[in-house]
Amino acid sequence: MMKKILARGELIAVVLTAFLALILGGWQIMLIAALAGMLIGLSAEHKANYLPRAAGVAAFVGLILIAITHFHNTSLSTLPGMEHIPDQAKTVGTYLIALGVIIGLAVLTAWIHNLADERKRQVYFIGLMVALAVFFPFFEQCPGLSWTNFKFVDMAAGCSEQSNLLWIGPVIVMFIYALQAIGLNIVAGFAGLLDLGYVAFFAIGAYTMGLLRSQQLGSQMGDPDFFRWSFWIVIWIAAATAAFFGLVFGAPTLRLRGDYLAIVTLGFGEIVPIVVKNLYAVRIFEPISLFIGQLFGQKSSDLMQFCLLGCGAKPLDITAGTKGISPIYPPDFFGYTFTVGEYVPWYFLALTLLVVSAFFIYRLRASRIGRAWVSMREDELAANAMGVDLIRTKLTAFVLGAMFSGFAGAFYASYTTLITPDSFDFSISVIILAQVILGGSGNIAGVMLGSSIIMLIDRVLLDKLKMVINGVLQGLVFKGIDNQALAVFWTSLTDATAYKILLFGLILVVMMKVRPQGILPEQTAARRRAA
Amino acid sequence: MTLLLKADRVTKKFGGLTAVNRVDFEIEKGMIAGLIGPNGAGKTTFFNNITGLYTPTEGQIYFDGQVITGLKPHLIQKRGISRTFQNIRLFGQLSALENVLVGEHVRLHGSILEAFFRPPRVMAEEKMARERALDVLDFVGLGRKIADQAARNLPYGSQRRLEIARALASDPKLLLLDEPTAGMNPQEKRELTDLVRHVRDNMGVTVLLIEHDMKVVMGISDRVTVLDHGEKIAEGLPQVVQKNPQVIEAYLGTGAAAEGA
Repeated sequence: MMKKILARGELIAVVLTAFLALILGGWQIMLIAALAGMLIGLSAEHKANYLPRAAGVAAFVGLILIAITHFHNTSLSTLPGMEHIPDQAKTVGTYLIALGVIIGLAVLTAWIHNLADERKRQVYFIGLMVALAVFFPFFEQCPGLSWTNFKFVDMAAGCSEQSNLLWIGPVIVMFIYALQAIGLNIVAGFAGLLDLGYVAFFAIGAYTMGLLRSQQLGSQMGDPDFFRWSFWIVIWIAAATAAFFGLVFGAPTLRLRGDYLAIVTLGFGEIVPIVVKNLYAVRIFEPISLFIGQLFGQKSSDLMQFCLLGCGAKPLDITAGTKGISPIYPPDFFGYTFTVGEYVPWYFLALTLLVVSAFFIYRLRASRIGRAWVSMREDELAANAMGVDLIRTKLTAFVLGAMFSGFAGAFYASYTTLITPDSFDFSISVIILAQVILGGSGNIAGVMLGSSIIMLIDRVLLDKLKMVINGVLQGLVFKGIDNQALAVFWTSLTDATAYKILLFGLILVVMMKVRPQGILPEQTAARRRAA
Repeated sequence: MTLLLKADRVTKKFGGLTAVNRVDFEIEKGMIAGLIGPNGAGKTTFFNNITGLYTPTEGQIYFDGQVITGLKPHLIQKRGISRTFQNIRLFGQLSALENVLVGEHVRLHGSILEAFFRPPRVMAEEKMARERALDVLDFVGLGRKIADQAARNLPYGSQRRLEIARALASDPKLLLLDEPTAGMNPQEKRELTDLVRHVRDNMGVTVLLIEHDMKVVMGISDRVTVLDHGEKIAEGLPQVVQKNPQVIEAYLGTGAAAEGA
């Protein structure tokens, strides 16, 4: 048999690198290098010379990366609609740094991956991921990075090139979704409760933030700034509100099993945005006078009814209906006010929220509560017979899941400054569930991985793919053709973003066939390698 | 001897079918009681009535002097009745250790916030729980080495033992074993019988077991109860019950009973 030259993971790294470099090019070379380096490191098997081998493979992949990126930067980016590569991206220095990044990360990851001590391996790997995450925004923010001009943060000067801020915005959104995904993972992954209406809690969190930090209610009360409570308090109120509604929704429904629960939660996911949509003209009278009056046969128009809510000339507009609430005040942090478009503080806020939540959930899973969740998923009847209170345990899972979604919603509302009922569509529940399943239901790291893959495809890759295909079509293929209609037809046919849902569906179907437990499946307490 | 469990005319009907019919039953502390009967006699249904999976249609069940009829399974478990299942029901994806730890669930108290902040009290509790779980694994003869293996990857015999370990982890007063030796060869059966005796002698746990294998039941039980068609047809010392014509008839048919008599 032919001896394999590249391991499967390394082969994937090559293909992925080439593909990404072809589509993204430009500054993204650093990110692609980091990604490919880690992939190569992870596929390094423990045997003699695994570190030099990883370095060699990384160098090889790095050269491919540089070649394709250079092709992208010099040839592809001259095509129409693609002139977005700054000059610095084409320097030799950049390429050399990228080569360093890919080799360095490959060796480092290979070393960590092959540590004998399970615990050490986990801690180091998490450390590496956090370090990369902290490092990341500076890399992207500053197009002034080059061989001679080696600096990371210079937001005032050369770092304002918006065209290069390809990733950070999507990555912040990715963090929001990842936060929801690890929250849903408690409900669906640990406790095994299929929740198809998870977006309801996202909406509740977002609207709590919207109402308590905007002029929506205040302006109708005569003091526009009445609801401008501190972000740091409101985010907790939002999470608590979402958790409270988790309790309200969960208490009557969690007795249901499997499919029935899924359908009921689906209903909640639909109800919340509809309620929000209709709370724009609220006037509530107390019903007792009406009731007594009708008992005595009086017409309702003759009755004196006490008005409870929305009694002014105009009824109370709570959510502004489909128009949505806007603007929502951004957070303040010790005198610094977050601003739209200045991504780095938002990035770190979201990152902190995500890391702390992931840590919290990890510890929950390791506690008696986490064990009870998983035991319930594995065998409800046996768990019950072993002393696990089913209703209570399900409720804690549901409420905690709702709480994390509430956090995510509150952050989302502040970040986008505008929320409308349409931003809390059923499709969000589905996408988050897909992230959980794709990444590996029950495994926190896996779920975050699934989340990042889907979000990056959704927010970055497809857009750029569309751009590249469009550029190639416009610049090369249609050059000679004069038929406008045909060009339009081909452009719309090759619009990658239009195939998004199809692609996600395909990914899920393929995953179910090939690896139903997800990319990083849940592990038992310790899957120790034979060292 | 003090009475531990008392079933007073327990009846369970499913629609028109009477699965358990007016069964009176008593266990004293410290005994190993056997419950036998042909397939479909209502043995497991009777178990499920005791452990709260079913609520008896009629009758009362007393445990340690208190009525437990109709309580939810987890509350009954909390009072000190623990069980295994006829078809093994482990938490397959969890490790052996975690399976036993779930068994300790009712003994532990960490709240959600304590799970996050891990105050010393909870850490100590968790550490003790782990130690105890490992001890229980040792006790049932599985040893500590398999602690981190996924339960579903264990061999069949070990799964049976793990289920017993999980049931013992809550430190029960009464252990219900539903056909613990089903599907085992004679050697394994002997070992398991020894384990059951070991449990009674060294942990002071009273045992009630359902068993098909007459040899096992007769060898281990202090007293045997025979169910047939949901009714109790005989009760007493194993040697006596074994010779009861009604029992022989239930097991082997009328002809055999006539021959034996």
